[in-house]
Amino acid sequence: MQKFSYVARDTLLNIRRNPLLSIATILSVVVSCFLAFVTLSGKAIVEENTSRWQNGIHVVVFLDDRVTTTAHKQLQESIQSYSEVRDVQYFSKEQAEEEFRFLFQDQQELIKEVDFLILPTSLRVNLYDPSNYQLIIDRLQGNPAVREVRASGEAIQRLLDMTSTLILAATSFASIIAFAAFILIGNTIRLTSFAKREEIEIMKIIGASSLYIRLPFILEAILESLIGSVVAVGLGVGLINYISNPEFSESIFAIQISDGYLLELTLMIFLASLLFGLVASYFGTRKLVNV
Amino acid sequence: MIKFKDISLVFAGGSVALSNISTNISDGEFVYLIGPSGSGKSSFLKIIYKDLIPTNGSIEVTGLDVNDLARWRIPLLRRKLGIVLQEPKLLKDRTVSENIGFAMEVLGFTPGEIKIQVSQLLSLVEIEHEAYKYPEQLSSGQQTRVAIARALASKPLVLLCDEPTGNLDPELSSKIVVLLEKINRAGTTVIMATHDSSIVNRRKKRIIELNVGKVIRDEDRGRYNISGNN
Repeated sequence: MQKFSYVARDTLLNIRRNPLLSIATILSVVVSCFLAFVTLSGKAIVEENTSRWQNGIHVVVFLDDRVTTTAHKQLQESIQSYSEVRDVQYFSKEQAEEEFRFLFQDQQELIKEVDFLILPTSLRVNLYDPSNYQLIIDRLQGNPAVREVRASGEAIQRLLDMTSTLILAATSFASIIAFAAFILIGNTIRLTSFAKREEIEIMKIIGASSLYIRLPFILEAILESLIGSVVAVGLGVGLINYISNPEFSESIFAIQISDGYLLELTLMIFLASLLFGLVASYFGTRKLVNV
Repeated sequence: MIKFKDISLVFAGGSVALSNISTNISDGEFVYLIGPSGSGKSSFLKIIYKDLIPTNGSIEVTGLDVNDLARWRIPLLRRKLGIVLQEPKLLKDRTVSENIGFAMEVLGFTPGEIKIQVSQLLSLVEIEHEAYKYPEQLSSGQQTRVAIARALASKPLVLLCDEPTGNLDPELSSKIVVLLEKINRAGTTVIMATHDSSIVNRRKKRIIELNVGKVIRDEDRGRYNISGNN
């Protein structure tokens, strides 16, 4: 108990002796943890959206209304038999009208003007692998029952490529900042321990263990890391709440993260920063403290 | 208590600090480790508290095989030893009492124990009136006394003193030696490294004389003649 009170008191004293250095360390932890949080959240959002797209419609085959419904049925069966296809749904004129009305519900003028008879029937195709959309388009080319084929795959692919690049860039940036934070924590601890070199030397000769000498420095690093990560997670959660606001969620991305994942991410960031502080303080005190 | 067996110490550059030293120091002895600067006195002491590791030979201190002692067990060895260096190494921002209390706090004593024992130690080294002074307000001799009191905080079996009188005038040196003898009479083994012949010749204790890392003389009630003649 007596030893614990010494360690706790000394930890706070170390921070009070170098307030600017401690603040700089905490800020760098905030930046790196915030970037890590945002990057991982962004990755989760993209994965969620990708999964949504993958379960959605990948190819829409608009049918020629001049051809008989029997021909339409035969075409549906034929597409269904392709190995790349998971499912094909027939979409009637009535369903097309219903969908149109839903999509343009805010534009009543437009709805009044439209002749719904011109909306074509269609086949909505869901693929096992959305990137195979071109194979379907090629096979349907020249088919007399087909008026037009449209695929969302290309647009999705472009979007995914762009998002992957963004995630890679953010991960690289977060790693660089994390490395800087690591060096900064180690350096803060090294400076603090250097300032206390006489005290450390005395402790060594009277028989204090390396761990005991090191504990205040370890606690200091952990405390700074934890404060930084708590602030970073707070900012991250705030940002997610802000952008998942309906104004933003009408965009192509559905900005949603489950509470479970958010908790997991928060714990992960806390644990990582804890580990970070431990390792950085170990390296920061290695030379001076070893008995 | 302390057994050196064929101890040699060669530094990385090849310079020999100690060469084939074998000697025993028993419980309650007072030993002067003498010799000129660079003769190996500090290395002799540092090997005892495992600040240096010998390149050859074995050493036993208070029943512990120092060579085989794992790094994490070194503090256990050092708690059985009191170490006083030439520089007292006192914390400038703490009073005399706090300097001694700091050592005791590190060793796990309770505040009550610290209060009682600090006062006893200050009384033993005869600086009880300086308890609330800072190191800079003390004379060199008083600072050495504080360092001795701090070294005694763990109630060591052996007190290792590496030229504690090196920076003191003859009168203060003599007082420190008297204090160390008082501690020795209370049962603590004392090994004091010095190159001050006047102290050694007046006190007539066992001497171990080193020269270029070798024991050239080990005598009870020995004398130290700088020119080398006994």
